[in-house]
Amino acid sequence: MAQQIIGILIAALLSQNFILVKFYGICPFMGVSKKIDTALGMGMAVTFVMALASFACYWVYQLLLLLELTYMQTVAFILVIASIVQVVEMFLKKMVPALYKALGVFLPLITTNCAVLGVVLVNVAEGYDVLISTVNGAAGGLGFTLAIVLFASVRERVDKAECPESFKGFPIALITAGLLALAFMGFSGLSIF
Amino acid sequence: MNFKKQFMEGLLTKNPVTVQLLGMCSTLAITTSLFNGLGMGLAVTIITICSNVLISALRKVIPNQIRIAAYITIIAGFVTIVDLCLQAFLPDLAASLGVFIPLIVVNCMVLGRAEGFASKNGVLASAVDGLCQGIGYTVALVITCIIRELLGSGTFGGGLLNNGEGIRIIPEGIPAMQMVMPVGGFLVLGCVIAGSQWLMKYLNNKKAKEGAK
Amino acid sequence: MKTESNVMYVVRLAGTLLLIAAIVAALLAGVNMVTAPIIEQLNYEKTQAAINAVLPGGGEEIAFTDDTGMVAKVYKSEKGYAVQVQPAGFDGTIDMMVGIDHEGKILGISIISHTETAGLGAVAAAKTSAGENFRGQFVGESGSVGTAKRGTGTLDAITGATITSEAVCTGVNAALDCVANLG
Repeated sequence: MAQQIIGILIAALLSQNFILVKFYGICPFMGVSKKIDTALGMGMAVTFVMALASFACYWVYQLLLLLELTYMQTVAFILVIASIVQVVEMFLKKMVPALYKALGVFLPLITTNCAVLGVVLVNVAEGYDVLISTVNGAAGGLGFTLAIVLFASVRERVDKAECPESFKGFPIALITAGLLALAFMGFSGLSIF
Repeated sequence: MNFKKQFMEGLLTKNPVTVQLLGMCSTLAITTSLFNGLGMGLAVTIITICSNVLISALRKVIPNQIRIAAYITIIAGFVTIVDLCLQAFLPDLAASLGVFIPLIVVNCMVLGRAEGFASKNGVLASAVDGLCQGIGYTVALVITCIIRELLGSGTFGGGLLNNGEGIRIIPEGIPAMQMVMPVGGFLVLGCVIAGSQWLMKYLNNKKAKEGAK
Repeated sequence: MKTESNVMYVVRLAGTLLLIAAIVAALLAGVNMVTAPIIEQLNYEKTQAAINAVLPGGGEEIAFTDDTGMVAKVYKSEKGYAVQVQPAGFDGTIDMMVGIDHEGKILGISIISHTETAGLGAVAAAKTSAGENFRGQFVGESGSVGTAKRGTGTLDAITGATITSEAVCTGVNAALDCVANLG
């Protein structure tokens, strides 16, 4: 059990990193990575929602299995994720205003972050139990945070550098991400225990 | 309604991939062979048209506060329908696209068109918009696919032509397999976007010169 | 000015959303009714084709014991066994069928479904010459298999896909162990 959890942690953080290897959550990765502090805020918010969504969707899927409605899974999961994001937003606003101030602007964006729906669908496809699902969700979120913070810190410098006219803006950012992905390729193989 | 203008917007000036940077996850992940690119493009086009039409038809019924939730529900419905149909009628494509079919739900392009266009325009215009944006998406995907497949596997038309093996253009052993891996996805898409930025600038300059004459 | 009370407004919001969800659900149920039997038939045919590929003529499903947690089903005929194993690949599970004769020699392997990287790990399942060569190496092997690259055996791994190749070997070994335990 412990071995499986460590394996999942290493895979989600490094060798199977959600962004740089599996391509989940590229939109916020490109969109919210201009500054390190906003990137960190987004990462924390995503990690929180991913762990919570993995936990909740496990039970939702069990219910769907019971009702023999598994073909409804995508619709059910996205509604669960949307509601979780909404509830988390309201809860933080009322109870922890400081945290809400830090994460608030990112929360609505998370619903359409495919890392969240992606991790839930992977959990179901791999048949993980509730503990492993939640760990996988949290670890995936941490992997997302790691990638986006690293990327933001490089991008802050790239934006000041000179580059060919046509490559200004997103093209050079994508190439930077490519080089980052190249570095993460070195971790492949770590996942096998 | 201006079909030509909408078509040019979808294809180049407001291309969902190269200009609006929407739906990047699937763009990067599945563009490893021509078969995948065409299949994904077609699936997204169909879903965008359907969801645009329905959302446009319902735009006066859906209350403003819950519109995003309503849109996502409708889109998720269409995505599941396409997913089930692919599994039943095109199982090879379904297996090769895998989890990225259900992930079309959160493809920001579909939701982006629903929120940005279908919620403000008529049914017919929304259908045309879905079609044009879908074509733009497919073209960007196919171009990325062709480059990545050629550099990464050395073939053209993998999964489609020549028994699924594709036509070999570069001899085995030379192509860099990194190009079909994530690294290649980022690098090639970066270059494709740079190319489209260059093309738009070129066309604008040409127009300006003609205008000066 | 609001023309309706807050409560009514919330009810109307919830009602509209519920109605949309209900319509979508009904639509999906309809589509599912049409596609579910076809998908099931396809999966059945795929599994049968995989059994036939590794154990000509097919076989009867039998009970088995398994310590690895990878063996899904075992089929038996007078020619030998077809073992369905599901090892973890580079990305997700590889669903495959291993044919083993009564002497414990591998008759062949066939991959039913996988989510490996296109052009790399996916070669293991491809109908190309590289794929046939990779799968062909297993025929006649017995005891335990592994890749030369990892030093676990003598087989050639697929170029750029050592993990996938090693995963296929892990699955084959689970199948060999399972058959050995059957006696």
